[in-house]
Formats: sequence, C-alpha cells, structure tokens
Amino acid sequence: MGARMVSAVVVLACVIAPAVRTQTPAAPGARLEGDWVRIDPDGVGSFDGLSGVVPAAELLPGVTGAGGGRGDGRGRGVPQSTGPNPEGVPYIVVTQPCSGFGGGRGNGGLLINPDSGGVHFVEHKDEVIFAGERGGVRHIYLDRRGHPDSSQRTPTPAGHSIGRYDGSTLIVETTGFTPGAVPGGGVRTPETRLVERFELSADSRRLTIVYTWQDPKIYQKPHVYRLYFERAPAVTSNGALVSYALEEWCDAGDPIEKQSIVPPKQTIRK
Amino acid sequence: MKRIPAFAFAVLALLADATALGRATQDPQPARDISGFWELNFDSRRVPRANLLPSVTRGRLDARLKSDAYAIRWCNLLGVPFIMDSGRPLDIRQGTTAIMVVPENSSAPRYFYLNRSAHISDDIFDPSTNGDSIARWESDTLVVDTTGFHGEHGITAIPGGGFRTEKSRLVERYRLMKDGAVLSVTFTWTDPTVFRTPHWYEFRYYRLPSTYEPRQWLPCDPFDEERAKFLETTPKPGRPATRTVPKE
Repeated sequence: MGARMVSAVVVLACVIAPAVRTQTPAAPGARLEGDWVRIDPDGVGSFDGLSGVVPAAELLPGVTGAGGGRGDGRGRGVPQSTGPNPEGVPYIVVTQPCSGFGGGRGNGGLLINPDSGGVHFVEHKDEVIFAGERGGVRHIYLDRRGHPDSSQRTPTPAGHSIGRYDGSTLIVETTGFTPGAVPGGGVRTPETRLVERFELSADSRRLTIVYTWQDPKIYQKPHVYRLYFERAPAVTSNGALVSYALEEWCDAGDPIEKQSIVPPKQTIRK
Repeated sequence: MKRIPAFAFAVLALLADATALGRATQDPQPARDISGFWELNFDSRRVPRANLLPSVTRGRLDARLKSDAYAIRWCNLLGVPFIMDSGRPLDIRQGTTAIMVVPENSSAPRYFYLNRSAHISDDIFDPSTNGDSIARWESDTLVVDTTGFHGEHGITAIPGGGFRTEKSRLVERYRLMKDGAVLSVTFTWTDPTVFRTPHWYEFRYYRLPSTYEPRQWLPCDPFDEERAKFLETTPKPGRPATRTVPKE
C-alpha cells in the first residue's frame, strides 16, 4: 500500500514536473536564434560573385532596373569587381563609407540582403529582432499586427515586417520600402512586397533565406533568389567555445570604413 | 506507515507550490521576461552626483565633452550609457540565449548574453561602446555585468558625472514593478580611475502599449554641412533681453 502510494506520488511528480519548468519567452518555432555569417556554397570566390549568382529579375516592359546591374544591394563606394581573390586571402571584404545618405548602415536596410558582416537573431514570442554587426536592426512582429496604412508611415530602407512560423521556418512579409535596387537588377517601391522564408537545415547549422519580391507594376513574375548562411564560427575564450556579436566600429571622420571579414571555411556544394 | 502519507502530502504540497509557480510564469507578464517597449518619463531618473577622484580634473572632463561632441558630429556609435536614455523608447526582447536592447537612435543594439557566465577574454575582445554584457537571473531581478568598454569611442559621459574608460565596470539590475508596468533599472559604475566610490543611479521605464511601432533611426549624415555648422559653431552670447518700461 505504502509502496504504491510512493509510486503514485513519484509518477505524479514526473507528470507535473515538466509543467512547472520556467517558461521561456521564446517564439514557438524558435531555432533561428544566434549568430550567423553568409557563406558561398556556389564557390564563386568573390563578394561580387556572390551577388552575381542572383538570377536576373524579369521586369515588365518599360521598367528600368535600378543600379543597372545584377546583385548590387550595397552602399556607396563599393569597389568594382576584382574577381576571385588569391588562395588564402579573405575574399569577402567590405569597404564602404561609414554612413551614407539615407542613414547608411542605419535603419536595418543592410539586413534585407545581408553582406559579409555577421547577423544575429533574438526570438521572442511577440517579435524577432534581426540585427547586423555593421549596424541596423529589423523588427519582425509576430503579434499578429498588420502593416500600418501606407498613408500613416514613411517608407524606410528596411520597410515594415510582420512574421509567422511554419514549423521551424520563419516567414516574413515586408512592405513600405524606400525606392531602391533589388539584387538581380530588380527595383522596389513603397508598394513592393517582399516575402522571406528563413529556412533552417535539420541540424539547425545552415540557414537559407528565400527572397520573393512581388509587385505587379514591376515584375513579370515573382523575383526569387536565395542567400545562404552558417552559424558563426565559435572562438575559444577562457577555455570555452563562444560566439558573440562584434560591434563594428565606424568612424565617419576617417572617412572610409574598411573591414575585412574572414568567413568560415566555405562548403562548396558543387 | 504513518510517515508515507506525510511524505506524500509534503511532495504534493511542493508540487502544488511548483504548479502555482508554473502558472505565475505563464502569466502575460511573467516575472522573468522584461521584453517590451519602454520609455523614460520626466520623473524617471534618480541620479545622485558622482563622487569623483581628485584626478578627474576640469580639464579631463572638458576633453571628454569635446570627444563626445565629435562622436555626435560624425554619426558614430554612441554606446552605453547614452543609449539607455537617448530620448526615444527602447525595444527590449528576451530570447533563449540573449536579451537584446534596441534603441531607436543608435544603430548598435546591446546584447545581454544569458548563455555564458564569463566575459569574453580580453585578449580577443575588442573594446566597444557597448562592452561585453553577461546576464543572470537572481530571483525576479536580472543582473547584467558589463566590461570591455572602449575608453574614448561614442558618448562616454555618465549620468551624475564622470565618464567611462576601458577600466569601467557596469552592473545593472533590472526588475519589473507594478505588475510589469514599470521597469526599474539600477546602474552601478565602478572605475578605479574615475570614481572614488561606486556610482549608483536608477531609471524607471514605463511600458508602452504592445502595439507600439518603433521609429526607425533617423538618417545621420556626417557630410551634411548645414548640420555640421549647427553642431560645431559656438553661438555668440546674445544681448540680454531688454524690457521696455511703460511711461507713467
């Protein structure tokens, strides 16, 4: 009798115990959280090459692509293509003015098509923060709010983003952009709609962002391309492996910011 | 035989307590989630004057003021402590590995790492305007410890007096009050080159509606000559206002 009661209590404890763990405020599908860096799975060997593999946007007749080229989503002062760097030389190199017109690194605009700087996610049930080491933050609202009326909001480089989880995939819809260029020779306006799918590999080590730009006044069909990321490489600190956000110093008085970011060993899928 | 029911009751009582705790943590504003949009009001600051070392001379303070003005002039990252009272609300979001504090008018957010208990080693961490922050919960209080500050970059001025240096250490304690409507943050700065005693002050942030829309950072163009002129030109002293006394 006593033994059975003890057993019942133990079983009850096992049943109840999981329910009393401290709740975390994470989003339901949260696995994206952490530090990421862009990779080059196609083995193109240069930053310009990374942008060059974006398929060409199919524009409606009469629509002119901004920037006149493919894959240029970067700021002013970016040097022309130099081709693949020699072996051993970090080929993802960012050189651009620290803070250009329109806020430069600010406003999260760089995070629409992240370059070689590290990016970071914090996932909360109401909002995902998407931040970049080269500045700017995107707020991705998960709290079921809609986009504000366009008459009530000033377009911004990062637009206005709302999201939801489909399993472990975060699906984000953004609109309200400032007019500008889209990789692949596309363009965008405040009415253009971007849908991003943040897709994680089964082991959560690889992230693919699938971009779909839609605008019936600009594109013949949705303009789709992908960027690839891996978890940022950990470093040894006090005997432990850690990963953390770098704060890139930016001194406009310099006035040219030069950064050289060594990416993780690239995994070529060919 | 008698002891078994007593033991069972004790376990069940503990479970009941734990279940109640579990319910509490599932409330809309759980005690251990400081996420939300927060702003300071006119009555939000309790800032005593810092007890500075004699070596912190007027000359050193003036040099710091000049350096802070440079950071504003050139649209640099402004850093801690400025971004905790930048004139705009903060968006604080708590994830599983880190808490991010996002100001509206500086492009670098703060990260409070929950997944490590030691600072990044000095030999690999480059000092920064926000430093390296690690955080842990002590009951209902989030304790954030920050070192690794840059001694000159950004706005270094500390409320109440003094400035941050590479030797500064900041301990912040975040605690929700009034059912989550208010967030109390105490700041304690220590620095053997600046403060005679630890410098403490408190801000109380008010929660904004969850539907609040953060304003994205206003453009800052360091090459805007008009802006530069506004910031760099020292105004000439104005003539004292004259008052015309009506004749009788």
